[in-house]
Amino acid sequence: MAQTQTTATAVARPPLTAFSWKSAVVAIGALIVFDVLINVYERLYALAKGLDYTSADYTTYWMSMLFAELVMEAVTAGALWGWLWMTRDRALERLSPAEELKRYWALGLFVLTYTYAAYAGASYFTEQDGTWHQTVIRDTDFTPSHVIEFYQSYPIYIIFGVGSLVYAMTRLPQFAKAFSLPYAVLVGAPLMIFPNVGLNEFGHTRWFMEELFVAPLHWGFVTFGWGALAILGTWLQVCPRVLALINHIYYGKPIQSPAEVMRDPQSSCDPAACVACVL
Amino acid sequence: MQYSQVDAEAKAVARKFDLVVIMSTFLVLIAGFHVHQMLVAGDWSFWIDWKDRNWWPIVAPVLEITFPAAVQAVLWTKFRMPIGATFCCLGLLFGEWMNRYINFWGWTHYPLNFVFPETFIPAAVVLDIVLMLTGNWIVTALVGGELWGWLFYPTNWVMVAPFHVPVEYQGSLMSIADVINYMYVRTSTPEYLRIVETGTMRSFAGGVTGVAAFFSAFCSVCMYVPWWLMGAHFFGSTKFFKNYESATAEVKNA
Repeated sequence: MAQTQTTATAVARPPLTAFSWKSAVVAIGALIVFDVLINVYERLYALAKGLDYTSADYTTYWMSMLFAELVMEAVTAGALWGWLWMTRDRALERLSPAEELKRYWALGLFVLTYTYAAYAGASYFTEQDGTWHQTVIRDTDFTPSHVIEFYQSYPIYIIFGVGSLVYAMTRLPQFAKAFSLPYAVLVGAPLMIFPNVGLNEFGHTRWFMEELFVAPLHWGFVTFGWGALAILGTWLQVCPRVLALINHIYYGKPIQSPAEVMRDPQSSCDPAACVACVL
Repeated sequence: MQYSQVDAEAKAVARKFDLVVIMSTFLVLIAGFHVHQMLVAGDWSFWIDWKDRNWWPIVAPVLEITFPAAVQAVLWTKFRMPIGATFCCLGLLFGEWMNRYINFWGWTHYPLNFVFPETFIPAAVVLDIVLMLTGNWIVTALVGGELWGWLFYPTNWVMVAPFHVPVEYQGSLMSIADVINYMYVRTSTPEYLRIVETGTMRSFAGGVTGVAAFFSAFCSVCMYVPWWLMGAHFFGSTKFFKNYESATAEVKNA
């Protein structure tokens, strides 16, 4: 274990208002409203305008949506990740405990938003596609439900997932200098679902005409879906450090400095810490 | 007085972090478990006419003991929380019902009698209790995994049984489930695609469900072990890859 700095003097406490749910409520609320509107759009135009790929209506109502969303996603991803990187903290070793705890709270809300987006993409819109497959015999890879599922809901959660990782890497000592295995799996595996769409569509175009959900062609998605389990390891890395920060700020217990955590982040996740949690 | 205020603040902050961890874990597990379940066992889950007595009770338990085992590996060993399996299966059921109701029924109008999902809640509670009482994951794999397979068909039977009442339809013997499938047209799931029991020259009448459940239980035991290990050692790993400075320093020191 690396050397720890001890202190008996009072440490600055963050105001309780710093731990507000507001930003997550706004972000997730906006996503829910957006998803409801998307459902309304589907109900209005999927059966009315989305049954014939060769029609002019299809181009207007569905292909335009596909191109528009792809452009907006690329811009949003570039802007969000770029902004997080450009505004990175360049003096992490001088981070105060109160500020670090506040940043963990922000990370928690970021990850929470990501997990809602992952739910909407991988559970809601994916199984929704299941019923659309049973309703039409498709004449394109870009069916109305694919335009939403693959090219809208997946990119949205990828943007949030990678965004939360960039936030952690640029704001928190634990993730600043070394790469977290579970976090990489958590964010990277769902990200890989998107390229796997390539295999899926190629396969459906070339050799699987029917819609057997359990077809081997789909199993690539499954292995990437497993990555969701890596949130367990991610929280196991975060929780001991958060506990240590709380114990330090409120009870004056010793804690590793940010510099020590950056040098050896593994040492900040004592596996016994969560079991011993008495807060 | 001063101390108790600080104490209250610390506890309030810790409770908030608890909520974030629990909610985010629940949401992302719905996503992962549902996409897994849908693409390895989904067809049996979607349609009442796929819920047969041979393949459904094998495929569903064997492939759905996966996430519960992995989540138990972390929640039990790190937090002593005996709810890993139920947590997963509740999430899965939530994800499925949201879709069956809003989309299968609400959007494309397949009746809920046709598209209701299977349940794993009873088997999951048993699996969690076995782990809690024994505190031993090998025993849970052997006993809990076995019960997981056995319990699946009986605990779903109450929902499925009404659809197995026979009817004579245009001169043919059909079950209600078959008639529902026949009436509510699915464009891309022709009858021949259905993977259900069709009878063989080497099977004995009446012995199908029990044998399937027994085999399913054995396979569930076998699935539990690697998934526990993956949960404990890979998905629940706290490994960081070494940063550039320390990796370089190690090389220099060597």
